[in-house]
Amino acid sequence: MTFSILLQILWTGLAISSYAVLFAMSFSLILKVVKIWNFAQAGFMCLVFYSLYVCLNIFDWPMWIGVLASFFITSVSAIGFFRYGIETLRARNSTSLTFFILTLVVSQFMGYFFAMCFGTEPISITKNIMSPVIMVGGIVISHWDLQALGLTTLTVLTLFVIMHKTHLGQFMSAVADHPTLARLYGIDVNRVYLYTIVLACLLMTVGMYLFGLKVAMLPNTPLQMMLLAVIATLLGGMGQVFGAAAAAILLSLLQSLSVFVIPSEWQSLLIYAFLFLTILFFPQGFSWQTMKSFLGGGKT
Amino acid sequence: MHQKRRPFLALATAVFCLSAFFASMAVAQANDTIKFGLSMPLSGTQALFGADQVKAAQWAVADINAKGGVNGKQLEMILIDTAADPQLGINAAKRFVSVDKLPIFLTSWSAVVKAVAPIANREKVLELSVGANSPEIATLGDYVYTTFPLADVDVSALAQYSHKTLGKQSAAVMYINNDSGVEGANIYKSMFEKSGGKIVAYEAYDAKATDFTGALLKVKAANPEIIHIQGLITDLPQVIAQMRQLGITQRVSSYSAGYNPKVIEQLGAAAEGLIVTSLAPGVNDNPNVAAFIKRWQTTEKRTPNGLPYTQYLYDSPYIVAELFKWIAKNKLPATGENLRKALITIKDFDLPMTGMLEVGADHRVKKPVYLLTVEKGAFVPLATIK
Amino acid sequence: MEYVISVLVLMGIYVILSSSFNLIIGYGGLISIAHPIFFALGAYTCGVLSVNMSIWPPLAVALGAGLALVFSLMLSLPSLRISGDYLLITSIGFQLGLLEVIKHLSFTGGASGLGNIPNVVDFGDRSTVFAAISIALAALVFVFIRWLIRGPYGLLISAMRDDELVYTSLGRNAMKVKLVIFGIGCACAGLAGGLYAYYYQYVNPDQFEILQSSMILTMVVVGGMGSQWGPVVGAVLLLFMPQAIGFLNFPPSVMAPLQGLLYSSLVIIFLFVRPQGLMAAFDRNSSRPSK
Repeated sequence: MTFSILLQILWTGLAISSYAVLFAMSFSLILKVVKIWNFAQAGFMCLVFYSLYVCLNIFDWPMWIGVLASFFITSVSAIGFFRYGIETLRARNSTSLTFFILTLVVSQFMGYFFAMCFGTEPISITKNIMSPVIMVGGIVISHWDLQALGLTTLTVLTLFVIMHKTHLGQFMSAVADHPTLARLYGIDVNRVYLYTIVLACLLMTVGMYLFGLKVAMLPNTPLQMMLLAVIATLLGGMGQVFGAAAAAILLSLLQSLSVFVIPSEWQSLLIYAFLFLTILFFPQGFSWQTMKSFLGGGKT
Repeated sequence: MHQKRRPFLALATAVFCLSAFFASMAVAQANDTIKFGLSMPLSGTQALFGADQVKAAQWAVADINAKGGVNGKQLEMILIDTAADPQLGINAAKRFVSVDKLPIFLTSWSAVVKAVAPIANREKVLELSVGANSPEIATLGDYVYTTFPLADVDVSALAQYSHKTLGKQSAAVMYINNDSGVEGANIYKSMFEKSGGKIVAYEAYDAKATDFTGALLKVKAANPEIIHIQGLITDLPQVIAQMRQLGITQRVSSYSAGYNPKVIEQLGAAAEGLIVTSLAPGVNDNPNVAAFIKRWQTTEKRTPNGLPYTQYLYDSPYIVAELFKWIAKNKLPATGENLRKALITIKDFDLPMTGMLEVGADHRVKKPVYLLTVEKGAFVPLATIK
Repeated sequence: MEYVISVLVLMGIYVILSSSFNLIIGYGGLISIAHPIFFALGAYTCGVLSVNMSIWPPLAVALGAGLALVFSLMLSLPSLRISGDYLLITSIGFQLGLLEVIKHLSFTGGASGLGNIPNVVDFGDRSTVFAAISIALAALVFVFIRWLIRGPYGLLISAMRDDELVYTSLGRNAMKVKLVIFGIGCACAGLAGGLYAYYYQYVNPDQFEILQSSMILTMVVVGGMGSQWGPVVGAVLLLFMPQAIGFLNFPPSVMAPLQGLLYSSLVIIFLFVRPQGLMAAFDRNSSRPSK
């Protein structure tokens, strides 16, 4: 394995991790603030993709309008789901089992719905999936790679600014830590939930836009992407949105690099191995202390 | 009281479902036609191929009936969806056998063919596999026959051609990690090596993968003279796209799954030079094919998905008609056992869309392999290997 | 008629699956959706054993159930240590991960499935014999679970599920109860798997994916989670529904997603309108409506 091959894999792996980061952050954000394991995210990811597809290929709208439209549609649907679905169950004090069943089944429902509307032929947003490339020092860099990294960095920075430098961000942290107390302080908790959902939809939209440009999708593809998002969330630590982002990059890169160590067809199994390792050793999220305590056998 | 109504509701729903079920079963018993079954994916990811193949078969049945049917009786095809799912395939086979009481049925997609084989063998009903290519099909049992050449036919021919005729000394193989990929790749490898060539890279990729960079880079590092991809239409274009983008310029070959206009559509110029196989004659080899394609253009305004497979499916009702004619001629009852006897006695069939077919005693068929390549954005014939 | 009998075999299998899943999720309150993988483990064990050696079928089925039990510990021990929520995530990963492993191994037939499982019933009418065995096993499992729930152990289970904190502070080991319930439920699924493998003589990994999880989940939710007859009613209803729809002759491209759509709509509707399922109100031994 030469150095240039390693660099190529690192570069492409990094570019691929872009949408993984966005999906992981979306899942982690909802978990942090709204406190639900939003398995319905897969269904909403489908919604973004298919509405974008319809806007571009059936209405012939330009890309940016299509993206805005699908963002809008998904946000409205997500808010509706939260208002009429989640809130109702919350008012009844339902168990986490019920929430889980609901979110999973909503994802499946949407999957079947789109399968019925669009058939189950793999479709991509654009007809042609090739993207122009430039060579930099022997490494192939495609326009898609640049767009993916650029957009993702921009989105992550925006989220960082929102969460750490604005009032909304402070409110989100407050609600995440203690919703009742936040309410007592006069924070409109429902409003905060709303903004959180919209932010999560933004992350999803950018992610699916990038994903859709590269890959032909089937209605059940997002459900598989979700697994990586969930593991990254766990590994990053519950409540650590940027931790989840870092974990997503790490997992993606590990998956890409693993091809040199294990036969390529076992790559998909890696993710399940990661899941198990995470649950076994880092259930509260990765932290240096936990790592040290395992290695040194000392007290945490 | 409310509570008394609830079990009633459950009971009523159950009764409704049960009666709908039984009523429609009663209707399924019928009249005086010659019936055979066809189970194909009409829904699911394979539906785009299945639906077109079904259409071809339906045209054939209509054509046969327009010419008087079989011995004066109309031919009737009973169609059930399998979604290429073995479980649904099993349900379909059971319905053919116990509800419709058919002595023969046609099906496709290797997993389904294998799943229903025990039923065919147990109930002595003739199962014809049309289009599935897993080499295992030849060994599934006495009542399972294929009328379509299995993977060892076209992939072997391709491997030999690449080495002997194209002069490629080394090859890399990439394959999808499912039954058709694994078996096909294995056949390519053994044939290429037997022919005298060397396999320098042999990489599998996961069926759900979207990024093939790792495997592709390994292939690039091995520096083969030709690259063979044993994948499906869902992943083949992505693999080739990423391959070209990584600067891998070698010629690529695939098997019949690559013979699909979608590949050219998605890849554009990157598809130039792609070699694919076809097991059915093209317009230059068989005069009926041009008319067949024209029929598609006029009725569906497009070419069929998987043209060669639709040709085989068009021919299948003709095979069925031949079998029934034989048993009528020999005054035998229409059972699976007798139909099987008919198949092995007749052995040779001259079919409208695919030409001569010889059903071997080893449950295999051998057919010429047609190689095509992409030139200036279209598939053109490259060679024919008998 | 033969067709109806073959549906009966499937019904027995699904009654076992839904009742055992109900034990885990309804009575035990354990959130796992990995039930199909234990079903798969039982099926593959019987399949692999009988393809490679001549083995007495009931023994193979018992071994299948045993293997499912052992694997259930592999899943429950690490995850329950942390919390119930983790069991959920791990169960998804466990199911899909183990399925991937099965698809990559050659002795399981890999992705194309394990076929040519020998026919073990060549006396009498095959389907009828299988239907009788299936219904008998289903009845056995049902009675066993009923006995478990009604007995003193059942009280322990209810207590643990309703308020684990109190249960633990009273000095009881909640973890042990959970492991036992999970194990029993999974072993029953393995039992159903063995029956399945012997009847269909073909096992394919795609049959044990998330769709199967959601089908079993639907049966339990619609029938009534935490009631005894609920899963039975759910299984019967949901098995006949696709058969009935299938005969209605809708255009086929609409059929398969339509079925899935119906299953998921049913669950959603029931979750909101009648969370206790169809049968809950009539069961003396049902748990409190788990809203």
